[in-house]
Amino acid sequence: MSANIVERKERPALDPKDFKGEIHPDWCPGCGDFGVLNCLQRALAELGIPQHEIAIISGIGCSSNLPGFINTYGMHTLHGRALPCAQGFKLSHHDMTVVAVGGDGDGYGIGVGHFVHALRRNIDLTYIVMNNSIYGLTTGQTSPTSELGMKTKSTPFGNPEAPLNPLTLALGSGASFVSRAFSGNPKQAVEIYKAAIKHKGFALIDTFSPCVTFNKINTAQFYRDNTYDINKEGHDTSSIEAAFVLAMKDTYGTNRIATGIFYQNERPCYEETEKDTLSIPVVDHKLGISPERAKELKARFK
Amino acid sequence: MASKNNTIVRIAGAAGDGIQSTGELLGKTCSRMGLHVLAYNSFQSAIRGGHVWLQMAIGTEKQLDHGEEPEVLLLFNKTSPPVHVPDVKSGGIVFYNAASIKKEDIESLRLDLNYYGLDFKTMVAEAGLTNVSPVMINVMLAGALVESLNLDPKVTLEFIKHKFLKKGNEILELNNKIFNLGFEWTKINVKPLELKLKGDNKPKLFMSGNDAIGMGLVAGGLKFYAAYPMSPATGILHYLSTIARSDKLIIKQVEDELAAINYAVGAGHAGVRAAIGTAGGGFCLMVEGIGLAGMAEVPVVAVLVQRGGPSTGVPTKIEQADLNLAMGGNGEFPRFILVPKDLEDCFYQAARALNIAEKYQVPVILMSDFFLSEHFETIDDFDFSKIKIERGKFMTQWNKNEKYKRYAYVEDGISQRVKPGIPGAMHLVVSDEHNEYGHLMSDVEAGLPHAREERIKMHAKRMRKIQSMIENGDAKPPVLEGDIKAETTFVTWGSTYAYVKSAIRLLEKEGIKVNNLHFTDVYPIPKEQTLAMLQKCKRLISVEANMCNSLCRQILAEIGFEITEHINRFDGEPFTGEYIVKEFKKKLEASKQLVNA
Repeated sequence: MSANIVERKERPALDPKDFKGEIHPDWCPGCGDFGVLNCLQRALAELGIPQHEIAIISGIGCSSNLPGFINTYGMHTLHGRALPCAQGFKLSHHDMTVVAVGGDGDGYGIGVGHFVHALRRNIDLTYIVMNNSIYGLTTGQTSPTSELGMKTKSTPFGNPEAPLNPLTLALGSGASFVSRAFSGNPKQAVEIYKAAIKHKGFALIDTFSPCVTFNKINTAQFYRDNTYDINKEGHDTSSIEAAFVLAMKDTYGTNRIATGIFYQNERPCYEETEKDTLSIPVVDHKLGISPERAKELKARFK
Repeated sequence: MASKNNTIVRIAGAAGDGIQSTGELLGKTCSRMGLHVLAYNSFQSAIRGGHVWLQMAIGTEKQLDHGEEPEVLLLFNKTSPPVHVPDVKSGGIVFYNAASIKKEDIESLRLDLNYYGLDFKTMVAEAGLTNVSPVMINVMLAGALVESLNLDPKVTLEFIKHKFLKKGNEILELNNKIFNLGFEWTKINVKPLELKLKGDNKPKLFMSGNDAIGMGLVAGGLKFYAAYPMSPATGILHYLSTIARSDKLIIKQVEDELAAINYAVGAGHAGVRAAIGTAGGGFCLMVEGIGLAGMAEVPVVAVLVQRGGPSTGVPTKIEQADLNLAMGGNGEFPRFILVPKDLEDCFYQAARALNIAEKYQVPVILMSDFFLSEHFETIDDFDFSKIKIERGKFMTQWNKNEKYKRYAYVEDGISQRVKPGIPGAMHLVVSDEHNEYGHLMSDVEAGLPHAREERIKMHAKRMRKIQSMIENGDAKPPVLEGDIKAETTFVTWGSTYAYVKSAIRLLEKEGIKVNNLHFTDVYPIPKEQTLAMLQKCKRLISVEANMCNSLCRQILAEIGFEITEHINRFDGEPFTGEYIVKEFKKKLEASKQLVNA
């Protein structure tokens, strides 16, 4: 039995080109998701994780098409269900690196119930939310992170609802790794993705990934003008209080939108509670019951 | 009907009175003596305060239902007498808690019964016992039952020892004394019933249907179970949780049913045998996930335990009205639906469900119901050696030079499936329509000529699995039990099997010949064989615990044969043999009148 269920090996870097899928992305030219895909491919390559040891699991939406464009194992599941599928997969095959991906509608709208429980459960996987504050695939309706008053096809008189704050929600739900990246800042994004994948536990990277077609407010230029890197300004990532203060600032109305790693706390991940069962991956367990064990199982009912 | 070698006992009181403990002591005494027991709980969705009762049929032979008229009645509280005294068989025994039920209130209800009030407090005080908790009345009443049924008290005492030893010698001694108090009192004061309840001395398994389903899943190689608690399926989660560590299983209570099914799909794709369990309402939330398993071709077993519906319905009562739901979902996809007929069958069908799921890479729905899952019964044995784990086209290596096609077009519709994580076979499983590699065609290709062709081919490939299930003999026709020349055939599915068997026994005693055409596999149904069987029957009457005849509608839809006579029950109580006989005789009478008119 391995002493540590979740291991992180140092491995030589691989070529990001080998992570390119056969299918060329069908995103709109200029879509932020291209940046996310490139950064994820680079992060995985730089960490030296072989493609066959990775599963990318998505929900439904423009961004959820990502697993089709990367050369790894993967699942393209239902709208809002990336996290349950990814967690079920991970517990069954915990030696693989699992990255769940999707959009803000997928993760913070229809799938938000799974999101908060995944945070507190702390299974060792990475979750990249490509946040563009709009529903793109359904042609431009309001999303859970659309700002108050934003005009969309479903809110022609302005969005009447306040946006959800994914970072404070995560921090309040027992998250062990909370971060934010911007697809237009690949250097920073790759470093955050690498740290998130290396993190032992559930790691959230809310990633600004602008929609060029339906969101004319939160554009790439908007984020270039308004974001800054908290990790360059001496933020203490071990302080949940400091993380809350930064995350609570109105990110959509100010010119000081914080990005970077807000909070990291390596508390024991879920897998540590199943040490015996996960001494080898469940998928490699021998199936069925021995005659001796069958007798014991029956004896309890006699 | 009680006779010399069988009897019926009913125990009633408020939820929290400890009816289960008395029932357990009696049930274990019988099962350890090698007697057969079938116990049914009638309760409401309340933890304390509801009126609950437990009825046990006990006999030297296998008991098929819990019967109608109890011969021994044991009452805890004052709500009980008017509810239960009218049901007792004439000449029967009624024990009651004299501290809560007044003699004049109960004994005036009927004059043809033998009443015995037990005053627990006075009896323990007179015996000089101290530190007695009021719940220990259960043990005393168990003593009274064991003596009045002429059972072996040594067996009960042995079980008490097993149960209370961990609480220390003092507690154990006290329970022994209280048991003997009830036993000796009954010996002196109660006129015993003329019963010969002699077991074969081979201790039997005494368990619920949910326990049997859980054990069958584990025997069949289950490694992963996800659920959200919902009656009457929760027992499976409880049982599996107790053995999760010892048998190295991942048993997860998750945030909702949407999570449960999708966890299982993730696990199934990873390559482990995965299942979920829920009731109808929970299954409603899972339907999209079942479709995902169908489309992505991921093996997963869904246990659907039916209760009274619709909506939240009647959580603690029986109904068989979820077959449409099991057949539901958006679009068309292959699936398999099987329904165990009794508690023993729960074990074997659960293991079989896992094999079929992997062999065909489809969702398999195992349907149970409140009665089947929640009642307790004795089982002679489960033969684990009969369970063979067949993984179909699951591969843990990919050495071929060609690129792996997850959804390769093959004759039987079942493509080779690899364990994720092996080199050289990277692929995507998807919920969108796709080509052989799992590449999506939904976004930019759908509607183009080559994509239309691909859509037809891929949809047809998946749906060919249904034909394969029939051709390979995995989808089985119904089974005809009983006299082949019978004038009437009862048509049954699921738990109605046993009640009908009980009815047939009763009718045979009167010289009326009926048989039973029983469906275990309700989807797919092999058409030719089933049609031939139905056409040979002279008069068909379906027996279903619903109003709208789900099974008959399924038969009509699948093979175009209509059954026009029905016996239904949907008041929430399970059928009994006697109930079916009564309803059948009404039909006989009606047809006679029709002839005479």
